[in-house]
Amino acid sequence: MTGSAELQVLALSDLDTVARFVDFSCERAGADADSRFALRLAVEESFSNIMQHGYGADGGPVTVQLHAQHDRISVTLRDRAPAFVPEQVPAPDLAASWQQRKVGGLGWHLVRQVMDEVSYERDAEGENVLTLVKYLSGGTIRS
Amino acid sequence: MNIHFESRGDVSIVIISGSVDSLTAEAVLSELTAYVVAGHLQLVADLGAVDYTSSAGLRALLSTVKATRRGGGDLRLARASPNVFKVLELSGFTTIMKLYDEVDAAVASFGPSASA
Repeated sequence: MTGSAELQVLALSDLDTVARFVDFSCERAGADADSRFALRLAVEESFSNIMQHGYGADGGPVTVQLHAQHDRISVTLRDRAPAFVPEQVPAPDLAASWQQRKVGGLGWHLVRQVMDEVSYERDAEGENVLTLVKYLSGGTIRS
Repeated sequence: MNIHFESRGDVSIVIISGSVDSLTAEAVLSELTAYVVAGHLQLVADLGAVDYTSSAGLRALLSTVKATRRGGGDLRLARASPNVFKVLELSGFTTIMKLYDEVDAAVASFGPSASA
């Protein structure tokens, strides 16, 4: 199934609503279980980053748009927090010993690992626009 | 998400179920921290009923690993589902933590005196 759906939320406490929205939309689109897990993970990490590091404690408006095509699912998150600079997010040192491993800092790494495309722009209206794309494997798609 | 503890000799089994995410991981960490502070340093997390974790869950696990190891103990993992294992692996946790297919094997790994 192809199509689009949109959800607007305001706080980190809306995470359950976001997760259900993504999972339900992916299921309707015929996405396989691995893709659904990857999209839930990438959307949660992105959403919690926006709420906790972008807006800070009080949260703010985030629009989640999901667009299903026959070969991919795209999720776009739009927010009005200060600009996010992906290049400035330090990569975690995965080879460090347990004593030296930092607690935290894995969210953006996981997003990039489980998505096939990740893009970010600050649009003309001053919104952060983060787009996550997961390709669907051919055998599992319903038309 | 639910969490509860069971004793097996000197080893404590932490049974977690449901989804560990940005909203529920704080409760996991505070329960684990309170348990470690109370002197339980040999922990096995039974993840068999955890269907999902994000990096928030990994923060709780790594904090607890550090706290137990500094006290001479450890937090070891059992029965991670394929999805949870994937998140652990992508984050480099499978090289710094000990993972087991079964809870009994994880308990036994602490040695014969611990699980007696």
